[in-house]
Amino acid sequence: MPTVTIDNQEFEFEGNPILLQFCLDHDIELPHFCYHPAMSAPANCRQCLVEIGTPEIDRGTGEPRLDEDGNPVIRFFPKMMTGCSEDISDGMVVKTHRSSELVREAQKDNLEFLLINHPLDCPICDQAGNCPLQIQAYKYGPEGSRFEFRKVSKPKHIELGPRVVLDAERCINCTRCTRFTTEISESHQLTIIERSVWNYPMTPPGVDFDEPYSMNVIDICPVGALTSKDFRFKARVWEMSSTPSITIGNAKGSNCFYWVKDNLVQKVTPRTNMEVNEYWLPDEDRLDYDVFNENRPEGPTIAGQSASWDDAKTAAADLLKNVDANGIVFLGSAFACVEDNYLLGELASALGAAAPSYIQHIEPGAGDGWLITDDKTPNASGCERLGIRPLDATLLRSRIQGGDVKLLYVLQDDPVAAGICEAADLAGVSVILHHTNTTNETLVAANVALPAATVVETVGTFVNQDGHAQRVWPSKAIRGVNRTLSMEIGKSRADKHGTPFDRWFDEDHLVDCQPGWVVIPEIADLLDIELRFKGPRDIMLKVSSENEAFGGATYDAMAEPGVRLVDVGAEV
Amino acid sequence: MEEKNGATSKAGDWRSYERVLLPPVRDLHRLEVYEQNGGYEALREVLTSDKWDPTSVTNEVRNSGLRGRGGAGFLTGLKWTFMPPVDPNIPRFLCGNGDESEPGTFKDRQLMEFNPHLIFEGMLIASYAMSITTSYLYVRGEFADWISLMEVELAKAYEKGYVGKNVLGTDFSTDLVIHKGAGAYICGEESSLMISLEGERPYPRAKPPFPAQRGLWNYPTTINNVETLACVPLIINRGGEWFADLGSHRHPGPVLYGISGHVNRPGVYEYPTGMLITDLIYDVAKGMRGSKKLKAVVPGGSSTPILRADQIDGVTMDAETLRDAGSMMGTAGMLIMDEDTDIVSWLRRVTRFYHHESCGQCTPCREGTGWIENIVTRIDEGAGNLRDLDLLIDLCFQMEGRTVCALADAAAWPVRFTIERFRDEFEARCRPSLVPSGGVLTPALGP
Repeated sequence: MPTVTIDNQEFEFEGNPILLQFCLDHDIELPHFCYHPAMSAPANCRQCLVEIGTPEIDRGTGEPRLDEDGNPVIRFFPKMMTGCSEDISDGMVVKTHRSSELVREAQKDNLEFLLINHPLDCPICDQAGNCPLQIQAYKYGPEGSRFEFRKVSKPKHIELGPRVVLDAERCINCTRCTRFTTEISESHQLTIIERSVWNYPMTPPGVDFDEPYSMNVIDICPVGALTSKDFRFKARVWEMSSTPSITIGNAKGSNCFYWVKDNLVQKVTPRTNMEVNEYWLPDEDRLDYDVFNENRPEGPTIAGQSASWDDAKTAAADLLKNVDANGIVFLGSAFACVEDNYLLGELASALGAAAPSYIQHIEPGAGDGWLITDDKTPNASGCERLGIRPLDATLLRSRIQGGDVKLLYVLQDDPVAAGICEAADLAGVSVILHHTNTTNETLVAANVALPAATVVETVGTFVNQDGHAQRVWPSKAIRGVNRTLSMEIGKSRADKHGTPFDRWFDEDHLVDCQPGWVVIPEIADLLDIELRFKGPRDIMLKVSSENEAFGGATYDAMAEPGVRLVDVGAEV
Repeated sequence: MEEKNGATSKAGDWRSYERVLLPPVRDLHRLEVYEQNGGYEALREVLTSDKWDPTSVTNEVRNSGLRGRGGAGFLTGLKWTFMPPVDPNIPRFLCGNGDESEPGTFKDRQLMEFNPHLIFEGMLIASYAMSITTSYLYVRGEFADWISLMEVELAKAYEKGYVGKNVLGTDFSTDLVIHKGAGAYICGEESSLMISLEGERPYPRAKPPFPAQRGLWNYPTTINNVETLACVPLIINRGGEWFADLGSHRHPGPVLYGISGHVNRPGVYEYPTGMLITDLIYDVAKGMRGSKKLKAVVPGGSSTPILRADQIDGVTMDAETLRDAGSMMGTAGMLIMDEDTDIVSWLRRVTRFYHHESCGQCTPCREGTGWIENIVTRIDEGAGNLRDLDLLIDLCFQMEGRTVCALADAAAWPVRFTIERFRDEFEARCRPSLVPSGGVLTPALGP
C-alpha cells in the first residue's frame, strides 16, 4: 500500500486523499480557514502551508533515486505548498509545524497578516469562544502585532437577507460563504465585491440573501463576519450547552445541536452526518425552536383544572376502564418517538381496541428534494414500521359525528387543528391528550391533558423518510425527577462547556411535562396491564428484536450517527 | 560587436537593425497595406505548403528560441508542446494576453495600434500549430481606441478569409475573438485572465493544474503575450535560425523596449535583445534629460528589481545577464531615473499601485500590500522610524512565494530591492528609532 511520511511518521493511504483532509483525519491539526471538505479548495487563506517533498525519479530507469543508505532521495518543492490543494502521492514527505520551523514561521506570519485589519472586537462578537480565527491565533499566531496604522473601515451590520447579518470588517475573505452559494445551494446570491484589502462578500444589487439554506454560511464562516439575525447577542457559547439531536420540522431528521441556556433553546446548528444532512441545515429547521420554549403547559389538567400527575393518570385510567373497547380510538403520532408509539400500540391491543393510526401532515410541493421534505413530521416512517397507518380522516369524522366514538386517546397531535373535527364535536367524547404546547386546539376538549416531553426533553428514536433510525438525548431538563433522563443528560452533554456558567440546575423555565414512555406504562399499570420497561433503551431492544423493520436499531448501535434500517417499502 | 565601457553589446550591429515588429510603413494597421507588405504570407505558407504541419511549426518556434515577452520569459515552443494530444471531442483554446498593465510597460499597445494584423497572424499560426479552433485576444479595457480599430481590422480579415471557416480555402477553420477587459492588473495573470474570460471574478487559481491541462472552462489552453505571438509570423517567414541569431544567444529575437522617465526621447524602440542598457539610454533615447546624472534603472516594468547607476555598466537586456546583475528582463519596460529623483516617493507610488491592484484573494498579498504602502507613505512623509525599514524587508519575505499567483512577489520585490539598494536615502528620511512615535495613528489610506 502506498505510504506518506508526515513529520517522520509513516501513514498508509488509499486513493487520492487531499493532504489537509488526510492530516485532519489522522488527528494532525493543520490550521486552516478557507478549506471545507464539501467545497472546492481555492487555497486563498494560505494558513495550511507545509513543506512537501517527493521522491526524485531517475529519468533513465523511471525508479526513485536512492542515496548511499538506500533511502529514496527526497526533493522538496522550492516553496511551501498549501495542504488543501495538494493530493498525497506515494512516497511523499511532509513537514508540518510540528517538525518545521519554516512552517511555524509561515503560520505565524500569516496570522499576523490576518489580524492587522481584523477589528479584534471579540468581547462583543458572537463568534468569540468558538472562533477558528481566535483559536488558531492563540495557538499559532504571533505574540503581538507590529501594525501601527488605522485598520481599514468597512461596512458593518449589513442585513444581507432576512436571516443573515454581515460585519465586513471581521471578514477574512475565505470565500466559504460565496462558494456555498455557488457550489452547494447554487443560489448564487453572494459574491465578493471590491478588491484588495477592501473586499467583502455581498449580494448582487437588488438581490436579497433569502435562500432557504442561507444560515449555513453562518456556521461555515470562520470568523464572526456572518451572524444570525435571530441569535445575535443572545448568548455566549460558553454560557450554553450543546446536545446532539435531530430536527423535527420535517421527515429528513437532519442532525443538529440544540444550544441551551437557562433551560431555553437558544439556537440550532447542524451536526455533520454524511448519511443524512452532511454538513447542512435548512433555515426553517433552525428557527422553529420556539415550540420548545414558548406556550409550554404547566402540568397536567383534568377538565381544564390543574391536577397532580397521579390524579391525571388515574383519571385517564378510569376513562379507559369505563368505555367499551370498540368505542376507543387511539391516535399515534408522527411527532412522537418510536417508543411512545409502540407503547400506545401495546396499550390499545391489551385493551382490545383497534390499532392506533396517525395523522399525516404533508404539504405537497413544500419539499425541495434535499433537506426539506413535503412531510412535516419527523417520524412517519417509524409509525409505519410499527404498523401504525395513516388516519382515514373522513371515517373518523363521521364516526365522531355519529356518536360512535366514546373515547379519543391522542398522542402528541392536534385533531382539531388538523381539521378532523371541531372542538364542539368532541363534547360527547372523552379525550385524553398528550400535548406539547398550550396552543393545541384540541386542548379545550380534553378531559385529561398530560403534557408531553418534546424532542429536546426526552430520550427516543425517530426514523426519517429514508429509513434512517436516530436516537435523541435530552437537551434540557424537565420539572420533576426521572432517573433515565438524568443519566442520559449526563452522557449527552459530557460537559462540553462544563463551567460555572452552566445553568443546568436553574429552576426557571423547567417545563412540567413527561415523556410518553413514562406516562403510558403507568396508566397501563392502573389498568392492570403489564407494560413495564426499564426505559426507552429497553423498549428499543424489544422492538428491534421483535420487529424486522427495526432490525439493528438498538441504542448502542444507533449512537450518534444512527442506523440505516432495511427498506420495508413503507408508504410514507 | 561594439565595445563600450569595456563591455559588449549582444545586439550586434544594432544601428543598422531593420524593424520587423513595427516596420516603418504608413498605415500598416490596415489590412490592404499589411497585405502589400507581405502580410498573411506566413499563414498562407503554413496552411498550403507541404513543408509545414502543426508539429513542424511548433518545432520551428522551439528552434527559434523565442521566449515569452510578457515577463516570465518562458520558452514559447516548449509551452506549446505541453498541450495534450488532439481529441476532436475536447475543445482547446488559445489566449493572446494583451492586458498590458505593468507600470512602465507600454509596448503591446504600440503593436495593437500600428501592427494588429501581425498579432492576428501570429495567433492564427499558433492556433494551427496547436489545432485550436477558438482563440481569444484579451485586451486591457482602457485600450478602447485600439480595440475598436482591431475589431474593424479583424472583420476585414474575416471577410478576406484569413480567419473563420476554411481559412484560405484549406480545411483549417479557426475563430478569433477580441475580448475587452475591465481594467484590472490581475487579469494579466494567466489564470485570472481565463477566469475573467469565463465571466467570473478573476481570482487567480492555484497551479498545477496548468492551463495546458485545465485552462479555459477546464479545457486545454495556451496563453501567450501578444508580442510573443507577433514574433511567430516572423519566425515562419525568415526561419527560426534567423530569429535565434538575433540578439542574445539564449534570449534571442527582436524586442520592443519601452523607455520612459528622465530621458530626452522616451518611447518604444524595437531592437534585438541583448542591448546594453547604456546604449539604450544614451544612444537610443538620446541621453538623460538636461544632461543630469543617471540614478537608477528599472529594467522590465515596476515589479523588476531596481538597478543603481553603478550596477548597469556592461549589463545587457537579456534574461541571463539581468539575472546576474540582480534584476530581471520582465517586459523590457525600462524606467530611467535621474539624480533628482526621490526614490522614497517613487517607491511609495509603486506600493500604492500594488495595494490597489491586489485582487484580495490571498491573505499575505491582500494584507501585506496595504501594510507596506502605509509604512512607505509614513517614511515618505518624514514620520517613519528606522526600524520600519527592517519591518518592510520582513514583510516582503512574509509575502514572497506564499500566495497563489506572483502578484505578491511583484509587489514585494521593488520594496525589498529598493530599500536594499538605496538604504541610505530611506534612512535619511526616517526618524531615529529611539524617538517614540508618540502612539499617534496615521489615518487609513482610502481605496
